[in-house]
Amino acid sequence: MKGYKKYFGKKIIWFLITLVFAVLLNFILPRLMPANPVATITGKLVGGSTDAAIVQQTYEQYMKEFGLDKSMPEQFLIYVKNLLRGDLGVSFSQYPKRVSEIISSSVGWTIALQLPAILVGWIIGNVLGALAAYIKKGFDKVLLPVSLFMSNIPAFAMAVILLVVFAVNLKVAPLAGGYNYDMIPNLSWPFIWSVITHYQLPFWSIVLVSIGGQAIGMRSMSIYELNADYVKYARFLGIKDRKIVGYVFRNAMLPQVTGLAMSIGTMMGGALVAETIFSYPGLGTTLMKGVTSADYPLISGSTLVTTLMVLVITFVLDIIYGFIDPRVKAATIE
Amino acid sequence: MKKKTLALLLALVMALSLLAGCGGDSNTPSTPDTPPAETQTPDTPDTPPAEPEAPAEPTAPGGDLPRNETLYFGGQQWGEVNSWNPVGANQNNAMAIASSAAGSRTVMFETLYMYNFLTGEMVPLLADGDYSWNAEKTELTVKINPAAKWSDGAAVTANDVKRTFDVGLEIGNPSTFHPYISEIAVTSDTELVIKANLDNLNPFMLEDFLSGQYIAQAAWIDTCLARNNNDAQGFLNDKGEDAPYTGPYGPYYSDDQKVVFVRNDSYWGQDASMWGKLPIPKYIAHTIYADNAASEVAFKAGEIDVNQQFIPNIQDLWEKDGLPISTFYDHAPYGVCATMPTAWFNMNMPVIAENPALRKAIAIAVDYDQIIANAMTNQSPSFSEVPRSVMNPTAGEQALYDHDAVKDLQWAGNDVEGAKALLDEAGIVDNDGDGWREWNGEKISLQAVCPQGWTDWNASMEIVAAAGQNIGVDITTYFPPADTYYPTVLTSPTQTEGAIFMWSPPAAAPSSPWARVNALMGKDYVGMENNWSGNFGQYVNDEADALIKKIPTMTDEAEIKAAYTELTRIYLTDVPSFSLMYRPDKFHSVNESVWTNFPNESNGIPPLDCTDGYGIAALYELELA
Amino acid sequence: MKNLLRDIRRSPRFMTGFLIFLFILLVSILYPLLSPGDPLAMIGRGTFAAPGTYVSLYDATSAKTETLLLPDADDKRLAAAMSDADRAAMINYFTLSGVAIDDLDPQDTDRMIELWQEIFDENNMPKMTNAQRRDFRNLDKRLKELQASDTLYVMDMGEDGEYEQRGSVSKTDYVNASAVANAKTLLLGTDNFGRDTLRELIYATGTSLLVGLVAGIVATLIGLSLGLLAGYMGGIADDVIMFVTNLFTVIPGFVLLILISSSVSQDMRGPSLVAVIIGLTSWPWTTRSVRAQVVSLRNRDHVNLSKLSGHSMLRIVLSDILPYVASYVVMAFILQVSSGILAEAQLSMLGLGPKTTTTPTLGLMMNWAMLYSAHTNGSWWAYFPVILTITLISFSLNLMNTGLDQVFNPTLRD
Repeated sequence: MKGYKKYFGKKIIWFLITLVFAVLLNFILPRLMPANPVATITGKLVGGSTDAAIVQQTYEQYMKEFGLDKSMPEQFLIYVKNLLRGDLGVSFSQYPKRVSEIISSSVGWTIALQLPAILVGWIIGNVLGALAAYIKKGFDKVLLPVSLFMSNIPAFAMAVILLVVFAVNLKVAPLAGGYNYDMIPNLSWPFIWSVITHYQLPFWSIVLVSIGGQAIGMRSMSIYELNADYVKYARFLGIKDRKIVGYVFRNAMLPQVTGLAMSIGTMMGGALVAETIFSYPGLGTTLMKGVTSADYPLISGSTLVTTLMVLVITFVLDIIYGFIDPRVKAATIE
Repeated sequence: MKKKTLALLLALVMALSLLAGCGGDSNTPSTPDTPPAETQTPDTPDTPPAEPEAPAEPTAPGGDLPRNETLYFGGQQWGEVNSWNPVGANQNNAMAIASSAAGSRTVMFETLYMYNFLTGEMVPLLADGDYSWNAEKTELTVKINPAAKWSDGAAVTANDVKRTFDVGLEIGNPSTFHPYISEIAVTSDTELVIKANLDNLNPFMLEDFLSGQYIAQAAWIDTCLARNNNDAQGFLNDKGEDAPYTGPYGPYYSDDQKVVFVRNDSYWGQDASMWGKLPIPKYIAHTIYADNAASEVAFKAGEIDVNQQFIPNIQDLWEKDGLPISTFYDHAPYGVCATMPTAWFNMNMPVIAENPALRKAIAIAVDYDQIIANAMTNQSPSFSEVPRSVMNPTAGEQALYDHDAVKDLQWAGNDVEGAKALLDEAGIVDNDGDGWREWNGEKISLQAVCPQGWTDWNASMEIVAAAGQNIGVDITTYFPPADTYYPTVLTSPTQTEGAIFMWSPPAAAPSSPWARVNALMGKDYVGMENNWSGNFGQYVNDEADALIKKIPTMTDEAEIKAAYTELTRIYLTDVPSFSLMYRPDKFHSVNESVWTNFPNESNGIPPLDCTDGYGIAALYELELA
Repeated sequence: MKNLLRDIRRSPRFMTGFLIFLFILLVSILYPLLSPGDPLAMIGRGTFAAPGTYVSLYDATSAKTETLLLPDADDKRLAAAMSDADRAAMINYFTLSGVAIDDLDPQDTDRMIELWQEIFDENNMPKMTNAQRRDFRNLDKRLKELQASDTLYVMDMGEDGEYEQRGSVSKTDYVNASAVANAKTLLLGTDNFGRDTLRELIYATGTSLLVGLVAGIVATLIGLSLGLLAGYMGGIADDVIMFVTNLFTVIPGFVLLILISSSVSQDMRGPSLVAVIIGLTSWPWTTRSVRAQVVSLRNRDHVNLSKLSGHSMLRIVLSDILPYVASYVVMAFILQVSSGILAEAQLSMLGLGPKTTTTPTLGLMMNWAMLYSAHTNGSWWAYFPVILTITLISFSLNLMNTGLDQVFNPTLRD
């Protein structure tokens, strides 16, 4: 138990240090961009005014309002202080909207799109991979190259192809947006249906691209595990197939589950291009909006959400591994 | 063989989990609360359509917008609406608040007059009848239409106009008109006098005020100031959701996917003195698309009726795809070109400021036919059809200068040899043999800049850069995001980032072509901070400036024509900037699958997307297809 | 080593992948040598000329003609001018105009045209949309052209302003395409700038391969050295390196890439700089895996033996550890190359790729094609070959990788 304490203690300390530096990087990187967001917003706010004094005054007022008149370290401290209160600051480009408000509305869309897509892609991929490991000769000969080819179609290209085939040519799927153009959100069945149909193309573009990679991974793992010594040994001992499958399944799945967890962690960043092409209102679109308008708080906010997801998932995985991976167990006893 | 059995079992386990996954998925929508799936298709209007009556009480938005009562717009609103404050700032509310002398969008807020750029007429809107000048052209009298009412039922008064104008000064946010207007005097509830600033006399700008200034309600301005404790920024950023409006449509629904306006059925304009009826569509909606491509696809699918968007090869939409889409003209250039996107030379850079030969060489080497064929896909007349000057291609402006007098100075482009000769003659040659010309011993390296994603402009800059390669001047392109471009290049009086950069001078407005000439060469803009108005390249020419200052007070037509001819001569000789193409003020294409009888060559309504300036008259003429 | 190479050569997957890759590589190297010229030359006025052979019409009028009497020539001519959709439109017009057409057969061309000429009036259109009016006017124009006489004349306006006949073209005249002085085959048509898409594609492939290669080398070098260091040295060095690696893992690489790219001003952003940036953001997972492998090697007997013999750390790492992870590193490198190419394409699609004036890249081609709506207006040649090329490069690299995987890990073999 003492070993565990040490193991977890170490993990937690690293988690915290990484967190601090990640926050720091998320804060600094956007601010290195060669742009002056305040000049932009000043331009918008003073409208047609051409009086230099007024422009200057407004400019300074906003520098102050956004805290940009302070030194970088000071700004960072304020940022962290606000962060601890769950406040991500005010968006520059969509002033006076709060970043947390913008992000919370887009995170929902991204999770709704990505989570099911990743799960479905993962499940189909793994089933195909396991089948390939079993049927080998025929199925495998076709499946492996096809999966490989599919997984190598870039996500944006898959998005474009689906868009052209199903939305432009066949006209069986809607083109863009989160719901029908002639609707106003409400809790009725037609509206929900509309959301579902608009969901199809971005959804499948993610699923199709991820199936291949998962199938290949699962196939390798299954073959590897099926040939592993312990399977031969277990069989030699006369243990029932059903029971062995249990082990094989668990072992082959372990890296796959890790992969799944990681892709859930990185989904916020992963959907960027697909979201952009389908005009889907998620976090990727929000991040791009932030980048094009040099909206520091918005960029920092979106990347922070992404970073946190990955960080938390890796941490949780580490902890779980601590319990189930015998090698870690061994290390803790050592 | 045992191995195979194992793997098969393994696969089965996986398959089961897939089924479980799918089951879970398909269960989600059929939770007990939602009706069963098979009974409805997305089109069934099972929610009651928003009630047609009870206009005073905004109906609770929800369900479908009836397609045959809704006019869909595209290419105007990008991103979510910020505010409804007609005298605020940063509203990002394109359908409601987009004012310009050339044609303010009077869907929700209204101006005194509507400009019709096809005829040059000012059509009264909130005003009653024509305005009148005093003899010296220093005072302009406007009557208010007594029928004009705010959405809260109050009458529009002359004081509303005055208050709207004054509040800008009060909160330290003057508009473009303030330098030219000394005072707005209220003579009665329905009559006002706009007095020119005699130190800066410019009758044109007073006329621009009439079609370019939205009128807000005086009482509301006071309310809004009070609730923001007279704080300027608070006032400018006030959401203004309660602002009364005079226009035919009011807010109905808005989120990050769309914005919808509903007709105010008690709109004052149904009075016989104005339109005599209500506009045809009950709803006006604008879906918010991520980019041009998404918007274009939606337009082709009939999800947008009126589209303010540059569509490359628009004729393909009917010639190849057979879609019921039409433009103002059946043939190239398909729209009415009223402005000319221009490449400005940055005079902050010595190599450019001191070498008129370099400026002219670049300008004559550019292949404009290529720009017009590829960047604009022929939606612009060529420079051999409409020779370059300071005028837009409309007949009225073309008649304002002496074509023969400047014939030798005009160029049609792609003159690589001529350009090389000019440079050689000016001593700008390649001494070190690297293929690039030098000036003062340094390789000339220029950056051609315009905002990213502005497709036709980006392509034009590429073609300008290609011209540079052809004549041994190193020009590279740079497309920063628009929000970076504005402060660092366009509106900065001291920038050295962009040597050549793009913007359009004013389109057709009551003050054109004077406003355009002033924007191209006026000295007033030199050194100005946050300059959105003109002379972005900081060009100084006192002779030209003196002429520009004199034109507003000239009355003799021959004298005016001589002045414009001289200005054209200076412009074409000195080349402070050069036009790349002609372009409509607003792109205007319509999909006639639901609505028809849009502006066209025969009905005299300008093609300004059925909303801008006198173009809004189209809303009263629409018919269901 | 020899056996290994033989095994690799015998792996069908590796060889398929290798041959595809070699083909792409050779084309991108040889084509510019054999046919030099500016890949960005705008040869076409107008956008998206379709793939095919273009014959100079001017030269064709003076080329030697042959008379061919093809039986279906007239039918084809008619079909081109008057499609079934046109016939339906004509019927529609007749109906709208209130003409009795009960016995009219849409396929009866003569009667259709006759009736059309009789009834159609440009200035008197029944109630219809502007689009319909225009389409009817255009149809009328086409039908009039169909009525043109059998022989057309080529005229030249002389100095005196008088027209002089230079030749005539009749319906049965044909020229051999090779007899025309100027003809150009554009296998993939032109793009939105009127550039030869095929030529641009090949040059762009070269650039993208270079970007991938540079990015792969940078990422692999960094990943490998850090992984070796962390894995072998352990302790504080390991902790610090893994900390940095973790930091780079939690901030998704592509997000990092976007932020760095937009921080570098565009005038600096050549293909090689973009490649380096891509390399600098994609090393962490190589580090992780190399470290994991080194950790398991660290306590092997032969390494301990080396240590006891007093060999320097550098020597131990290079001769006792590197060879054991080499196979893995090669595979990781291949994957890095393929993801580098993809990253460039995605960056360019978002407008953050290399600067644009002189070098074509696959991402830029894709970007311009999308900006000019090639995907929605059916100009597949402007974007599909680009997608296919990216996919093929990445596919071939991954195929090589799987092949190698099977060679290195015999249990994975079929």
